[in-house]
Amino acid sequence: MSNNILGFKQKVATTAMTFALLAALVLAPSMARAATHDINLSAEVLPNGQFGYKRGDRPAVIPGPTLFVKQGDTVNITVINNTGKPAGFKVPGLSNTSAAKAGPGGTISYSFNASKTGAHPYLGDGQELLGLFGAIVVDSVDGKVERYVDGDGAIKSVKASELDKQYVLFMVGSTFWGTEISKTGTQTPLWTNPVLGAVEEDIVRFHILSAGPGHTFHLHAHRWFEPGTNSIIDVKLMADGSDGHTFTLKAGTGVGPGHWQYHCHLFSHMEAGMHGSFRVDANKGSKKGPGNSVAGASPHGAIFGNASDDPGLVTFVISDEPASWYRSARADTIFKITGGTRSLEVIPPGSSVNFIMAETNTVHTMTSLLWPSGADDPINGHHAKQHSNHGNHGNHDKGRGRGRDKAKSEHASMPFDQSRAYKGGGIVKLTTPGLYVFTCKVHPYMFGAVIVDDPATDGLDLGESIDLATGIVNLPTSSDLATRLLRIFFIATAPNNWQDFTSTTPWKVTYPSVPVRITGGAVANLSDVLIARYGNDIALTPPIAPAIPGVGEVWVDTQFEKTAGKTKPGTITVVDASTWKPARKIALPQINMNNPHNMWTNRDQSVVYQTQWFDNKLTMINKKTGALIKNIQVGEAPAHVMTRPDNDDITVTNNGEDGMSMIPAGTTEVARMMPTQKAGQPATNPHGHWISVDGNQALAVTPNIFTSDVGFYDINSGGILERTPTGDSAPGAHPIAIGMMPDASKFYAANLLHHSVSVINKDGTLKKTINLIADYNPIDGTIVDRDSDGQATVGMLPIQLPVSPDGRAVVVANMGQSIIVIDTATDKVAKMLPCDAGCHGANFGAKKGGGYYAYVTSKFSNELIVVDADPNNDGDLSDAMIAGRVSLVSDGNTQTDDRISSLAGYGGQGVLAIPNVYNSWVKNLPGEWKDQLTPAQQNASRN
Amino acid sequence: MMYQHSCDAGEFFASDHLFTSSIASGFKRVFTRLTISSTFFLTMFLLHSGESISADHRIEMIGEQTADGLLAYRMVEHHVNGVNITSRYSPHATIPGPTIVLTEGDKVRLTIRNAITITPDQQVSVHVHGVHYTILSDGSLKVINKIEDEGAYPDHGGRFYTYLWDVAPGTAGTWPYHDHNYETHNGSEDKGLYGAVIVNPASGMVAASNGGSITSLPISHIKKDYVLYMSDDAFWGMEIDGVSKKQTWLGVNPLLTAKRDDNIRFHLIAMGTYLNRFQLGGYQWIDPGTTKMINTKDIGPLEKHVFTIKASDSAQYLNANFSRKLMGMKGSFNVNAGH
Repeated sequence: MSNNILGFKQKVATTAMTFALLAALVLAPSMARAATHDINLSAEVLPNGQFGYKRGDRPAVIPGPTLFVKQGDTVNITVINNTGKPAGFKVPGLSNTSAAKAGPGGTISYSFNASKTGAHPYLGDGQELLGLFGAIVVDSVDGKVERYVDGDGAIKSVKASELDKQYVLFMVGSTFWGTEISKTGTQTPLWTNPVLGAVEEDIVRFHILSAGPGHTFHLHAHRWFEPGTNSIIDVKLMADGSDGHTFTLKAGTGVGPGHWQYHCHLFSHMEAGMHGSFRVDANKGSKKGPGNSVAGASPHGAIFGNASDDPGLVTFVISDEPASWYRSARADTIFKITGGTRSLEVIPPGSSVNFIMAETNTVHTMTSLLWPSGADDPINGHHAKQHSNHGNHGNHDKGRGRGRDKAKSEHASMPFDQSRAYKGGGIVKLTTPGLYVFTCKVHPYMFGAVIVDDPATDGLDLGESIDLATGIVNLPTSSDLATRLLRIFFIATAPNNWQDFTSTTPWKVTYPSVPVRITGGAVANLSDVLIARYGNDIALTPPIAPAIPGVGEVWVDTQFEKTAGKTKPGTITVVDASTWKPARKIALPQINMNNPHNMWTNRDQSVVYQTQWFDNKLTMINKKTGALIKNIQVGEAPAHVMTRPDNDDITVTNNGEDGMSMIPAGTTEVARMMPTQKAGQPATNPHGHWISVDGNQALAVTPNIFTSDVGFYDINSGGILERTPTGDSAPGAHPIAIGMMPDASKFYAANLLHHSVSVINKDGTLKKTINLIADYNPIDGTIVDRDSDGQATVGMLPIQLPVSPDGRAVVVANMGQSIIVIDTATDKVAKMLPCDAGCHGANFGAKKGGGYYAYVTSKFSNELIVVDADPNNDGDLSDAMIAGRVSLVSDGNTQTDDRISSLAGYGGQGVLAIPNVYNSWVKNLPGEWKDQLTPAQQNASRN
Repeated sequence: MMYQHSCDAGEFFASDHLFTSSIASGFKRVFTRLTISSTFFLTMFLLHSGESISADHRIEMIGEQTADGLLAYRMVEHHVNGVNITSRYSPHATIPGPTIVLTEGDKVRLTIRNAITITPDQQVSVHVHGVHYTILSDGSLKVINKIEDEGAYPDHGGRFYTYLWDVAPGTAGTWPYHDHNYETHNGSEDKGLYGAVIVNPASGMVAASNGGSITSLPISHIKKDYVLYMSDDAFWGMEIDGVSKKQTWLGVNPLLTAKRDDNIRFHLIAMGTYLNRFQLGGYQWIDPGTTKMINTKDIGPLEKHVFTIKASDSAQYLNANFSRKLMGMKGSFNVNAGH
């Protein structure tokens, strides 16, 4: 792949030209008349689906054309919107007004006075993170630009005419977008993370700008002035929203030539690839260099369907929208080929993948879930890479731990990961052909896949084998585990592939019908392979309600259901357990409730607490009426909420951060966040916790996703009592939820990516790890009794796993479409039951007349499964069964606060039975609820 | 060759009290194989050897693990013009690491060693901000600087790497230094491998505020320097006594104390992923490089913010970022009546 080499630096400018430029600069102010600029731009769609601004007959670029004006000038800009999306226009640094959004084909006129010197972003409001941004540089009328500090400390003033070159560098997401402006004013796009070239002692002016979440800009070994001050800095904060910062420097002064790195200094952004090089060439001697720049990957470059000799760039928009969590910016043009998924891209080796968190309200990571074996090879390896022969559970010699033995590798190397969840984006160059899947560690069903296809081979290259984040290496792409994961990807990312239990047509999954190259160089049709292995057009039986009613109501977070009155997805579906009908839908359009994930209630069951997992809010809802009480900020990506049974205080895990928010009962403000790790230690990012209050000890037990352990915390003191590694210490075991015995004697943790359940004693010691895929052969997919427990079971990708209030059963919801029932007496699998696609949530409620139901939700189906783990109440769980299934789609009698518009009943995640019959909480129930329970249910722990 | 620009044990240590001539020859040996001009750096380094005002610093630091699984720098030895000032530092590895106090015009030769026992071996480096150095002292990996992995592998048999800093005129200020090489080319500053360099101006004077007024103050009148690193979840503090120059590690969200009317210099540096908003209740101070008074300052990762105030009343310092404040990023600045 040849790089776009820019023209060599012209060391000798003609005197005439210099004079003319100088004259122009001098004349303008002397005329004492500000100029008026009439500028015409159009917003265009680029080959990768991003947008760029076009001026005149030059191609559309990111950043948009740099506009140079003088202070005091009047600027009139006309923008034609040739994209398919509405976009506004604004220049926040110079004007308080925002132009109303123009629809496709519409035109915007925007005028302002260039009152302040410096570089100011102009933004296509609403689509700026997709590429509609550029710089307006307002220069002083006296022709002077920013001073610089020379190597000897002397402060030098500079005229614009003395500049050798200027750079515009936009910091957007976690990517730099650059333009070079030559001495004569020629603008050359440098695209992403470019090498900025200069010759030693060149006078170079940098315009650093930003749009979206903030950054700090750092350039190695150079210093400059903070504008408007005498302060010398080498790092500059670019504030959230948008910002601009201009400085001038003498290349290499005091430090000499070199590849001087520039980068954002936010640590997660560094890990996300946000860096480039300022290459200062020697100006004399044998190493004398031309000072040319090298452009980076470009939206016009080589990607599937767009041939080019330049490295290309595909862009995933990170979104709160169901299934489109990683949406290719050009999804609308390619999703018909991909079988409905908008999250699959294809590029040749050497092109790059760009991520931009443009349509989400919270933090994420861009993390490798799997990658082609060998893509993680260090380029200049210090340590010999150890490979074991093929994928099985025990190979944990490497994985997604940061770096490991990869310190010397290019940032393109796998695994791609960030230590903390953050706002921004990411960029990664992929060179090894094969399949790459990215996820978010906070929201681990957000998937984006990239096939790096060597054009010289037949079929799209899935590669010989893949490595997984959990340490499995060299797993053949032909293996059952590999294709099963692919199937999950195609279901999760395409709503047309979800199970609709209201429809009479069979469940059909559409896969891309494309030839793929797999293990041994075999070429097969991807769709044919997946259909041959997993079937298709599977008949779905309509929901049949359980024969015995439940007590009260079942509140289900139908997290993906869309309503007309808001842009964000998600409703609460309230099922009446006496009739098994959806009695109410709560969408809360007035707060644009965003991805409601998990719930709990207060002591008297009058208020439901609801987390918004793709946001930073906890919502309090009137249980009786479904009305909003209060929407409060708690922390990023709040996952689970639970009360303290002793005092009704509210505890919330901030899945996007490093602690739990504590809200005293009766208040609506977070009083404190309890850190879930010691100061300075890696952030834990806890998810589905459990609370135990026993005498004087109040315990929070959290599954710490980012650090692969279970934490035990004293809520009263904030003390960290224990951190127990889970998943046989596999990297990225991903413990995601906790279940607790009624007497707090044991805790259960589901390890999502390790397909296991950790059993942990109250003192934090690990009692046992239950391997849920012991009977499964990842190569051929056979499920036979390999662990000699008398049955063949598999629980792939376990999520929630509550313990029944009587302490007998653990019900594990597995995303791999099964429910596993574990007997707490033996901590062995007692039973496997079928589940729907994206099986996720589980919680217990009271069965009328005694016993319990486990309510199990599934993300990619629209029904609720009701499990009876012990139908005859004899303690033997071998007769555990599905008691019934309940539709989550509203009917004519369902009360709603907003009109259901699409994805009806989908997204089942958190589930809560009211009354709350878990031990400790059941004791505090008001009489109206207690009266509906049997004596045994009222005193669950005695069983 | 894996370590062609670092030397083996016994050939050179900062603690060898080498004289300029042997430093020169030592570096000549190191530099001869390099692609860039060695004379450039040697010239820079030797030019000032005859000047009386510029001090010559030989520093050796080592990267170590802490009890909580973090990484930290420890000062092994620091000689200034041949005088051993190592006793000013904590004998332990600290977060933040040793504060290296310099003056414009000084020269520094800093050797980093690595005592981290986590496998597989990783490099520890020192990448410094603010001062001058050539590309060989960038403290980055070859994948970044295209020349050399500029850090120290663990000390099996004495690996190290030596950096030369020119604390040139124009570099006055407080600057971070941090690892750039551990595990990836981003390094492990987030695990504790960071510290501060204070470059005092050659003029010997700093701007200070006294209530709402601005004064100019000799550095010798500063009673205490507080280095406060704002990491993602805590302030990590270091105190430097103005007279004894002794450094005291203060730990997390420390209690800061002063006597009324003491001149106290605060050195804030942020590190991590969060954007921070620093406040010191009831105080205002000079926005650096201006004559403007401020009472709040947004500080992004690796930005520095330095100000000097006259202590008047007790106050709370805090990070006003929503979740960071709730996480407990705050502490007390207690001002006592004094004598």
